[in-house]
Amino acid sequence: MVSTPAFLTRGPVGQRQRAGLALALPAALLFAAILGYPLVESFRTSLFSINLLTGDAAFVGLDNFGALARDQALLSTLGRTVLWTVLSLAGQLGLGLAAALLIDADWPGMRWIRQFLLIPYVIPVIASALVWQWMLDGHYGIISTGLQSWGALQPGVSPLGQEGTSLATVILINIWRGFPFAMLVFWARMQGIDRAQYEAARVDGAGPWHEFAHVTLPNLKSAAVALLALRGIWTLMYFELVWLLTRGGPAGSSETLSTYIYKVVTGEFRVGYAAAIASGTGLLLTTAGLTVWVLTRLRGRWRHV
Amino acid sequence: MSSRTMSGRRHGAARTPLSGGRVLAVAGRVVALALIVFFAVGPVLWMVLSSFRPADELFRSDPTLVPSSLTTEWYAEVFDSEALRWFANSLVVAVCTTTVSLIVGTAAGYAVTRFTFPGRRILLACLGVAYLFPAILLLVPLYLVLVTLGLVGGLAGIVIAHLTVTLPLTTWLMKSFVEAVPRELEEAARVDGLGYLGSFIRVTLPLLRTGLATTAMFSFILSWDEFLLASVVSQGDSMTAPVGMAGLVTSFDIRWGAIMALSTLVTVPVVVLFLVLQRYFEKGLTAGGVKG
Repeated sequence: MVSTPAFLTRGPVGQRQRAGLALALPAALLFAAILGYPLVESFRTSLFSINLLTGDAAFVGLDNFGALARDQALLSTLGRTVLWTVLSLAGQLGLGLAAALLIDADWPGMRWIRQFLLIPYVIPVIASALVWQWMLDGHYGIISTGLQSWGALQPGVSPLGQEGTSLATVILINIWRGFPFAMLVFWARMQGIDRAQYEAARVDGAGPWHEFAHVTLPNLKSAAVALLALRGIWTLMYFELVWLLTRGGPAGSSETLSTYIYKVVTGEFRVGYAAAIASGTGLLLTTAGLTVWVLTRLRGRWRHV
Repeated sequence: MSSRTMSGRRHGAARTPLSGGRVLAVAGRVVALALIVFFAVGPVLWMVLSSFRPADELFRSDPTLVPSSLTTEWYAEVFDSEALRWFANSLVVAVCTTTVSLIVGTAAGYAVTRFTFPGRRILLACLGVAYLFPAILLLVPLYLVLVTLGLVGGLAGIVIAHLTVTLPLTTWLMKSFVEAVPRELEEAARVDGLGYLGSFIRVTLPLLRTGLATTAMFSFILSWDEFLLASVVSQGDSMTAPVGMAGLVTSFDIRWGAIMALSTLVTVPVVVLFLVLQRYFEKGLTAGGVKG
């Protein structure tokens, strides 16, 4: 005899399960409709050659994925995306750690300073992008004209408009925007460090540097790993800042994967190909995520044995 | 506050007589702190300052730090333009998105915390994936879905697009806030004869007030800031503030004064929310409140 699922039974257990289902249902349906279905649709789209302008759609199988491998621009974009991610994260975590150490003091007004330092992360990215564009404007911008008068920059030129400096400038602005988050996470973790560890270090005659390296840093390791994982994914595919600052230019010198996908969709209307890049990236990220997850589980198991 | 007492521990030792080396260390610390604050806040101050400077002060090749006169002409220009409509659109979209994702997210967050039901673990897994999922990978399929539904170009389409960003977050945040409410309170209420819904509304919901405020704030800010999806979905009359503003810089004659006024205006609601709710803000941020 087939047993009835618990949520169909009478009595308190069934009732509880039905209540849970009813509450979760709207979210589950919405997730399925606006996240699940589009993802499936994305993979299906990647098997077609679709032109939004002409409305043509033809099934091409895996041709789009074959085109991925031959796309030279995509290859150099991938390299730039990795550079953008690694340097942004290094800068954000480094500066974030320095800022966290600086605000970790019992000085009057320190709470306000902490709030001020969070501002770059809090304000809308459109405002950040516009004010940096303004400050870096080649003719009237306060930073660009300053650099020009020192001879560090050619007259009438913006660092965002030079092939050699555009990516570095965008990365610098991303560090400005992201470091407060790393600071907050590090600082919050520092508040939880057991003071006995510092006292023990001091009894052993440790100086401030030794205290930092042997007490503070090891305690921040888990926070740093979490930051790297989460911000790694988001920085890798972070679109707004790059697009609003340079549109990936000039001449593709600050193009990252996300701006490339956007251009293929909105500029070239090659939806199928864009879906193929997105699906490929999604698969790559999922594989990487699963690998890390499995590895950490395995390591955890070995440790318990 | 706990931070005060806890961080005081390491610097409490400084009560000993000041030596030259210690003075130098403190001075170095102050300078470093000042530099980092300047780096963080400088651009924002410059944005506000520029929005009040007359044109002849803005457009010169040797800009000065301190303005000789201030003007509100840029704001007058902005209030006289279609930009007002962008802000109205943004407000409507952000409020609708927040309302829907708060209701649905709270129900789901409550369900996965308090109940076991078939599919609970799958829902949690999907939640985690959706939360990490970069919006750019969703751009094409979401756009195609909205085209099929005939929702491109309208505010409803933008709300749906924004729900993909806010819903995973609101569910996630509300889940953690529900977890913090003791289960025993609800059980006691049920012993007293209240049903599931009654005990939730009368007992749990009032205790979730700060959680709801925090979650609503983050949802509002995410929607208010969102550019990527809105730039594809919104057209013409339905442009949100970020989308409309992004279109201003491409022209030959860039009106930086007006652009800085708009940037200031788009920032003000967010910073006000931030300062009013700062304690909850930090908690939400560390729980992963903002992507990117």
